[in-house]
Amino acid sequence: MAEFTLDCLGEACPVPLMRTEKKMAELSVGDVLVVSIDHSCAMKNVPEWARKQGHNVEIEEIDDGEWEVVIEKTK
Amino acid sequence: MNAFWLKITSNRFYKRLLKEPFTYVTGAVLLAVFAIAHLAVFSKGWGVTSAFADWGAWMYKLVGGNVDNWAYFSSEKAQKTLSGGFMNDGGSIRNLGIILGAFLATLFASEFKLKKIKSKKQIVAAALGGLLMGYGARLANGCNIGALFTSISSLSLSGWIFWLFLFGGAFIGSKLLAKYFM
Repeated sequence: MAEFTLDCLGEACPVPLMRTEKKMAELSVGDVLVVSIDHSCAMKNVPEWARKQGHNVEIEEIDDGEWEVVIEKTK
Repeated sequence: MNAFWLKITSNRFYKRLLKEPFTYVTGAVLLAVFAIAHLAVFSKGWGVTSAFADWGAWMYKLVGGNVDNWAYFSSEKAQKTLSGGFMNDGGSIRNLGIILGAFLATLFASEFKLKKIKSKKQIVAAALGGLLMGYGARLANGCNIGALFTSISSLSLSGWIFWLFLFGGAFIGSKLLAKYFM
């Protein structure tokens, strides 16, 4: 049940999604990954990908144009 | 005052119209309507990058350069656009509108942010990518708008050929991205 963070601030599509996919593969079931994003299209495709994989996803708007996507690995 | 803004930003119409992206269908319908309007106003299809070449020529003139003898600018039409200046060039005004509109959209959605540059690699990649895109757009006589969107909607075969090579370029680009940016 560890928590990991991934800093994707300043990175444009599709880098945040590619890095999230890679990082999620390293996690064990039940772990949580917090991805920091400031690119609005990554804020769409990262949660979309994670939900399609069946993970639990929550999005928090931290500041103007800055989000934290919290992904809990379910399988 | 803060409560007022919180109330506005949680309003469903604000969210639907200004905060959340339009659906693909809404976007496609709007693009079709505006493309028709563009054709009606300018009597030619929508393109973006040709005006950028003129911007480059004007900037080059500012520092004392002369493009009159360049093959690209030698046609009468190109010369007329260049001598007419920025304010008389519909394409330039339209591009300015695209930039301003994109800026306003981020402001309305309250998503404006000055982003930090993460590494020197990003600077090199952005400069190199921009130059290649500009160069390619001039060789292909258009970008994904002029050579793809407008061509295909005018039933031109060239648009589909552009599309094939666009895929090839995107494939190579994403391989390079994975190799140097991951």
